[in-house]
Amino acid sequence: MNGSNAVLVDLTQCVGCGSCTVACKLWNGKHYDKGAPATGLHPVADHSNWTTLTQRKAEKDGAPAWRFVKAQCMHCEEPACVSSCMSKAMRKTEQGPVVYRPDLCAGCRYCMMACPFEVPKYEWGKVIPSVSKCQMCSTRLAHGRSPACTDACPTGALRFGRRQELLGIAHDKLKTGRYVNKVYGEREAGGTSWLYISDIPFGQLGFKANVTSESLPAIAEHYMRKTPALLLGGAALFMGLSKLIQRKKAVAAAKEGKREQ
Amino acid sequence: MAKASEVKEKMTIDRRNMLKALVGGCATASLTGCLVREQEPGAKGWVPQQYDAPSSWPPQVRGRVPIDPENPSIARDDRKCVLCGQCIEVCKKIQTVYGSYALPVKDDFICIHCGQCTLWCPTGAIVEADDRTRVLQALKDPTKVVIVQTAPSTRVGLGEEFGMPGGSWVEGQQVAALRRLGFSRVFDTNFAADLTIMEEGSELIERLTGKSEAPLPQLTSCCPGWVKFVEYYYPEWMPNLSTAKSPQQMLGAVLKTYYAKKTGIDPRTIFSVSVMPCTAKKFESVRPEFNAAGRYWKNDALRDIDAVLTVRELALMMKEAGLDFSSLPEESYDSLLGEGSGAALIFGSTGGVMEAAVRTAYHAVTGQKAPTLAFNLAPVRGLSGVKEASMDVPGYGKVRVAVAHGLHNARTLLDRVKAGTARYDFIEVMSCPGGCIGGGGMPRSSVPPADDVRRSRIRSLQIKDAAGTLRESHENQEVKELYRSFLGRPLSHLSHQLLHTDYVSRAKHLKVDPQALEEILAGQVTEASRS
Repeated sequence: MNGSNAVLVDLTQCVGCGSCTVACKLWNGKHYDKGAPATGLHPVADHSNWTTLTQRKAEKDGAPAWRFVKAQCMHCEEPACVSSCMSKAMRKTEQGPVVYRPDLCAGCRYCMMACPFEVPKYEWGKVIPSVSKCQMCSTRLAHGRSPACTDACPTGALRFGRRQELLGIAHDKLKTGRYVNKVYGEREAGGTSWLYISDIPFGQLGFKANVTSESLPAIAEHYMRKTPALLLGGAALFMGLSKLIQRKKAVAAAKEGKREQ
Repeated sequence: MAKASEVKEKMTIDRRNMLKALVGGCATASLTGCLVREQEPGAKGWVPQQYDAPSSWPPQVRGRVPIDPENPSIARDDRKCVLCGQCIEVCKKIQTVYGSYALPVKDDFICIHCGQCTLWCPTGAIVEADDRTRVLQALKDPTKVVIVQTAPSTRVGLGEEFGMPGGSWVEGQQVAALRRLGFSRVFDTNFAADLTIMEEGSELIERLTGKSEAPLPQLTSCCPGWVKFVEYYYPEWMPNLSTAKSPQQMLGAVLKTYYAKKTGIDPRTIFSVSVMPCTAKKFESVRPEFNAAGRYWKNDALRDIDAVLTVRELALMMKEAGLDFSSLPEESYDSLLGEGSGAALIFGSTGGVMEAAVRTAYHAVTGQKAPTLAFNLAPVRGLSGVKEASMDVPGYGKVRVAVAHGLHNARTLLDRVKAGTARYDFIEVMSCPGGCIGGGGMPRSSVPPADDVRRSRIRSLQIKDAAGTLRESHENQEVKELYRSFLGRPLSHLSHQLLHTDYVSRAKHLKVDPQALEEILAGQVTEASRS
């Protein structure tokens, strides 16, 4: 799906204005909750905050260096949430976004367990709750627009485009030597539609370091494809055992009968 | 009987059956998914029109300025932000702050606290940081003596908050209102402005006559936004900044020393409030070095200014208290720190500090009253961005002065001086267009601020200056008394302790992006940081 849409986040270009979080709320009609800010040192990612911007007081070459890290659904190329969903409420669209449909959702929350980035959130306070997560403005994309957050970014820290193209741009930037030599999201969880580059190691900025580079559905499939064989094999084994025992019993009974006679 | 049972078995459309059919049908339809429409979560809101175009047409106006949640001067309510981009417009093009520094950022949200963004923000999302709560608490506290000072421009702005035309003169009503809100003394920052002129003017003469090592041109230091701007962008000019504090800080310092001593009030009980047309004054008041009274009394807890209110905050306090502005009488300031000259009054407008300084400096050098020109120094009046004038001072020669307001203009002026294409002895800079009357704490009488409102406020100050009899800072009797009984003379040791300060370079918090800055100054505003 390399022709799909993606966003490249250049963490060195972010000034921390939080326009992305406001654009997200404006466009998606999300509520503000004073107890759950979307920006600052300790923002809260929840069903109303599809995107957060965390201020990180890091260090670079011994000097303090503040960075602002935008977090939202990574929109994996092969999403674990989609493969874990039993009712097809999650699906990866051709344009790139991983979209959730509450009308199909059974409420099992497997997606929340499956997500390697802990993105999907649940509307715990609602009587009929749904799962809730960034849709990458799929309806905007359908009209040739970019996600609201990337549109509102005043510094160009968020760049919307084709994934393959953006990867090229990212690697060109890495060649300048001003960045750590990694595009976060290029391989994480089998590749994501949101890509990050940074001049400070990702681990120091709160990025998950131990995300597998394999596609999670692929890992699951590796085991799952053995289930039919396991199932049939098991059945055959136990049937055989059962037959054996029955035969043994029959033989034993026959012997007994002979003795009594 | 047989007939009756036949009737029973026949199907009839009665209410019960109708209901059964409806409920059954709906339940079936709903369970089979027929009633469920495909829906997409989110996408229920809106974004401004510029963002509603295909991605191949990136919006020209976008985003907003970064604001530190800890900013002592301004605060933003995200619920009201519509990403119109006006804050960036003023911060970048008029103040040349946003976009002038290279990315990545270092360890600061670069802000000079001028508060122009609060005036440009159409939804009121950006406002001053709240200090009303603390002031109201102090007013309720019986152990506190709450004393207030009001800046020159507040008296030509406050009326606008109550429906009066731009520049309405409400000095007396403002004093009356403050008394009714519970402030026990009402002093005039104009008094301290005269004091500033005495100190800053004397300092200028020392520099002009070579008595002081400090370089020329001398730069004014009464605008805290401008001071922080120099500390960020022009640290090499810091020796040029006058060491005199701003009038707000001077009054705060003499209030808790001279006034406390003279009246026998325990300085620890004084809660010192100032009403300012400015948001940067809030930042200035919390600068760690501004505890001169604390050093004087050897009590670190004493701050010279405890809280700063903008004119808008004062108006809100009055409205909440239910004061009927139109029925307020005109009252006058309390004595000892309440007298102000016309020269101090025009501090509120661009060019005013310069004009006031010229009047007093001329007198100090020659011993004579300055010529009529100094009482209507037309070349430095008005709203041109950069203004200059010169005056022959007998016994010294030609004194060349320049005035800039708005920091884009200040950069233009400083760069000219740096390049050697212009030479001045004294330069006045105010961060806000129009000077303090256009300050970030003034009423939002037009959004964005308009020159006609600025002009009406300036006119009002100039008319009052021209009509008054006391028009020179050195003639202020209360200032004279302060020198006679407490400070000694301008630039005395005690004056230096209480009324002068030093500056700290903030250059390490940012890296200027010369190319981006050049583009901003040339007016070709492009996405500077877009690579």
